[in-house]
Amino acid sequence: MSEAISTTGLTKRYGARTVVAQADLTVPTGAVAGFIGPNGAGKTTTMAMLLGLVRPTAGQALVLGQPISAPERYLRRVGALLEAPALWPGLSAEDNLRVLAELGGHDARDIPRLLELVGLADRRADRFGRFSLGMKQRLGIAAALLGDPALMILDEPTNGLDPAGMRDMRALISQLASEHRTILVSSHLLTELEQVCNWLIIVDGGRIQYCGPAGEFAGSQHPTIELATLEPRDLLALADVVAAAGLDAGRTRDHLVVEVGDRDAQRLAADLNQRAATAGIVLTELRVTRPTIESAYLRMITEDVA
Amino acid sequence: MIRTYRAELRRLTSRRGLLVAGFLLLAGGFGCPALVFSAAKPAAQVKSGGSFSPTVESLSAAGGGTQVFQYAAAFMGTLLFVLFTGLFAAEHARGTYRTMLLRQPGRTGLLAGKLAALLTYAGTLLALLEIVMWVAGQFEAGNGVSTAKWTSGAAIPAALGDYLTVLAWVTGYAVYALALGILIRSVPIALAVGIGWAGPFEHIVSDSWTAAHHWFPGLLLEELGQGGTSQESLAKALATTAAYVLVAGALTVVAFRRRDVSA
Repeated sequence: MSEAISTTGLTKRYGARTVVAQADLTVPTGAVAGFIGPNGAGKTTTMAMLLGLVRPTAGQALVLGQPISAPERYLRRVGALLEAPALWPGLSAEDNLRVLAELGGHDARDIPRLLELVGLADRRADRFGRFSLGMKQRLGIAAALLGDPALMILDEPTNGLDPAGMRDMRALISQLASEHRTILVSSHLLTELEQVCNWLIIVDGGRIQYCGPAGEFAGSQHPTIELATLEPRDLLALADVVAAAGLDAGRTRDHLVVEVGDRDAQRLAADLNQRAATAGIVLTELRVTRPTIESAYLRMITEDVA
Repeated sequence: MIRTYRAELRRLTSRRGLLVAGFLLLAGGFGCPALVFSAAKPAAQVKSGGSFSPTVESLSAAGGGTQVFQYAAAFMGTLLFVLFTGLFAAEHARGTYRTMLLRQPGRTGLLAGKLAALLTYAGTLLALLEIVMWVAGQFEAGNGVSTAKWTSGAAIPAALGDYLTVLAWVTGYAVYALALGILIRSVPIALAVGIGWAGPFEHIVSDSWTAAHHWFPGLLLEELGQGGTSQESLAKALATTAAYVLVAGALTVVAFRRRDVSA
């Protein structure tokens, strides 16, 4: 698979502060890549470097096969939304898109369709300055889609959206991905990306912690089995049963969390159920929990801190 | 640059923008001549080398109809400078330079296109303003000013001269405003520096240092707008201003090309 984005040792320093440190990342063509990290991790700066807005202190990067030192060679094929959409408040939604279409040399006949796509068709004549943050965000997405880009770089696209707006945005990203585009989308909301991404880049403190298939990242963490008993006092007895089975377990207030390790989680759950019944313990919950991106990410960050 | 030019013109000529410009054009076009006529005095009463004041004789000459326009424009220098500086600096504050660079990454072309579009727009408005003022002046002339010679053949080159003088003056202000907006980036600071320098600072210094009129960019623009003065000829003011404009333009381009656009 070819790479839509690749960086080698990409670094950005502002004085003594290193915002992005030796970032090596790739995004395969056609992937929906989630760019995850806490606020201030360096996501926006990395994206700004990829878009030619910020000059790297060191390192190299290619976007659609072109070096980021020559953004004019690839930006026509890239749609981007960086931070909050910055458009002209006195112009209508439609006029803003017309100005951008003119600027980028794109076909303005596509504008009505794009406004329809982001749900702003009936507000096309309204001034951008009067839009809510969510509507501005949607217009920013429409602007990014001008020229039918092969690569989209979206920085926190769900900022300011209500839950329904977030759901619509996820659906839109999935739809855009189904049109054979490559999408790099950043967020600090992990659950938001988990549902749409098949590639993950995790950044923390300006350093890339993981870059690879989303499934492999979550899959690299083992599942757990969560158990709860009818009588809370039985939880101690259950812990003895688990220990007798040679398993490690941790305890929360009303659950026992069993580490599965490399074993077959389903088979192990059945075995624990049988052992509990034999010991006269009534289980009210027996649940195999597969690791999510969020849980795996949190575990990774916690381990780093430790 | 061409795409930026066309996009910027499209933005400047939005319906709302044209309505505002049309209102200002009519208000200024009909209001300013009356003010200029009321301020006119016989030449004998105007102190030689004094402030830039309209005289009954100059306004009654062939080029008097369009000199009304030149006088009116000269009074609006600070307002125009503030407007331009605000326009250019606000693009930074709003983040629209970032948006534009994503569509047009050639930074020199972007600035050149923006400036060319603004000057085209301003040039068109000024031409219309000159015509409106000439027409309004025909009806509003008073205070001893005669409009009999305004329709003579000599009025046409005079009108062209007045127009080009004001256009050069506007271009100077636009480039200085662009430089301030790009170099400083913050709207309030750019305005404070611009107004502080061109307003009180240059004028206070010029009271004690007469050579200030030969070197200070704001004073040179004022002299340019007045078609030259006893302190500095039009040709010298134009040449020095042109040199300053080139330097300011080059500095602006270098800064804009080198800087990160993160806002």
